[in-house]
Amino acid sequence: MKHAMQKQRPKKKYDNCAYAMIFPAYFVFTLFVLVPIIFVLYYSLTDYNLYSAPTFVGLKNYVNLFDDSDFLTAIRNTLFYTVFTLFPQLAIGLFVAVLLYRKSRLLPLFRIAFYMPNVMSMVCISMIWLWIYNPSYGVLNAILKLFGFSTHQWLQDPNMAMFCIILMSIWKSCGYSMVIFLSGLTSIPSSLYEAASLDGASAFRSFFAITWPMLRPTTFFLLVTGVVNSFSVFEQVNIMTNGGPLKTTTTIVHQIYRRAFLEFKMGYASSMSVILLFLCILITALLFKYGSGENDTDLS
Amino acid sequence: MKKRKINHAIWIIVMALASLIMLFPIIMMISTSFQSMAEIQSATLHLLPERLSLDYYIEAMSTGNWGLYFKNSLIVTLTAVLFSLLFNSIAGFAFARLTFRGSRVMFLLLMVGLMMPAQVTMLPTFLIMARFPLMGGNSLLGQGGTGLINTYAGLIIPLVSGSYGVFLCKQFYENFPHSLDEAAQIDGCDKWRTYFAIYLPNSKAILATLGLLKAVAVWNDYLWPLVMTNSDEMRTVQLALTMFNTESGIQWNLMMAATVLVALPLFILFLCAQKYFVQGIVTSGLK
Repeated sequence: MKHAMQKQRPKKKYDNCAYAMIFPAYFVFTLFVLVPIIFVLYYSLTDYNLYSAPTFVGLKNYVNLFDDSDFLTAIRNTLFYTVFTLFPQLAIGLFVAVLLYRKSRLLPLFRIAFYMPNVMSMVCISMIWLWIYNPSYGVLNAILKLFGFSTHQWLQDPNMAMFCIILMSIWKSCGYSMVIFLSGLTSIPSSLYEAASLDGASAFRSFFAITWPMLRPTTFFLLVTGVVNSFSVFEQVNIMTNGGPLKTTTTIVHQIYRRAFLEFKMGYASSMSVILLFLCILITALLFKYGSGENDTDLS
Repeated sequence: MKKRKINHAIWIIVMALASLIMLFPIIMMISTSFQSMAEIQSATLHLLPERLSLDYYIEAMSTGNWGLYFKNSLIVTLTAVLFSLLFNSIAGFAFARLTFRGSRVMFLLLMVGLMMPAQVTMLPTFLIMARFPLMGGNSLLGQGGTGLINTYAGLIIPLVSGSYGVFLCKQFYENFPHSLDEAAQIDGCDKWRTYFAIYLPNSKAILATLGLLKAVAVWNDYLWPLVMTNSDEMRTVQLALTMFNTESGIQWNLMMAATVLVALPLFILFLCAQKYFVQGIVTSGLK
């Protein structure tokens, strides 16, 4: 019986019009995602300055990358930014979501307030925070003065600049995590909490016994997308500090942009792009290996 | 009972304070856009402007060709949203409902786009645009001219693709009842008519969600226009905004006024369509 069904399957009518239907989306995807991946791999093995044809140089670009102190600094800065943006942002998002999760008519209002920064572009946000961080008459120094604290140079201070950018990025994106966590919370059956409170569990206890494990898939999703997003940090750096002071805020994409579009070293910048791609794949793979394995057990 | 009421009141106060802290930079942006430079540069902190007038907004908009920048951003955003919705939803329909050879492999390949930051392929994409055959004075081999640099097509086309849109539409259409297809078949609809007459009119929710997400992404995009354009005529609002960030003597009030205007369309869109926004963020987050 099974055998007969399998034999019949090839006779099943294929919808050939499907190819026409996926063609527009697939064409754009192929031309602007798949082909560029192959190109970027190829260009990374060449010297290419836009004006003359690319010349093959083997692994020279990659060898040079490891002597390029700017690029190594950029990798370190990007990792630093990722760790110190992502975890606080997730923690704040989760904390606020748990606090906010109540039956109340005011909930949508608070949700709007927290999500508002995320609707604005990074350019708009950079403009606002350039003003806040301005050392002469910015809001931050004015507030510090009001309470008698000492003022700072913020973005012009090599020890502060990266933290300033990180603080701003956390402010922008914690609302996003909050909304996602909030929807994760709504999917936890309330019977679990009722059972816990019957057993006399404290709010603290039921958070770690119920909420945290049940939100694991949500946290995992935010972690994976957050890593890819943080690795490609560029806009705020280019606008607010241009990588300075003393290269303390330069990032991988900032280096790619400078090498490719200001110095026209297309081959060299391509090798940086390949490293970025490789880092993203590596971290995502590690997260999937060590982060998602426990999902199934928790959900069962 | 009384204790619960007090609890609730405390909750409201705490959340209101937290919201105020979150909104503080936005409030300062709006407030500064109404202040004179004398107020801004004074030693004390001015939380509120001394008077309300739109002078600085008018002045900010006359610092450049702002009508044109808004027009550019609007054209790019609307076109990209329209085409990406059409392309992605019909592809999503095909992947969800039609049987064809290689559909699984092709779909998985498409998902590569979800895992990778767009910045990785920015460079070759730029080169493909610059070398686009027969465009912008280019020869058939893509030499000689500027290709699609400084054109609307160059700004829009790469943004039309969306693995994410195809993925969400596929998920959405898979939940449609199969009886719909059967009814359509009995009525003699071919697959095209099934999509256009039945599926498309019933997918307002997903299209609104996807459209909003795309509109925000395209309107707010900075890197791609920065790479693709170098003339004033093709500037988008985001690029134009950075012009206020000069080396010295920044006119903070003008800069904040322009920032308010650039962010305003999305604020309005967000407040009007909050339901779809939240739905969009949530479906995108939880699959």
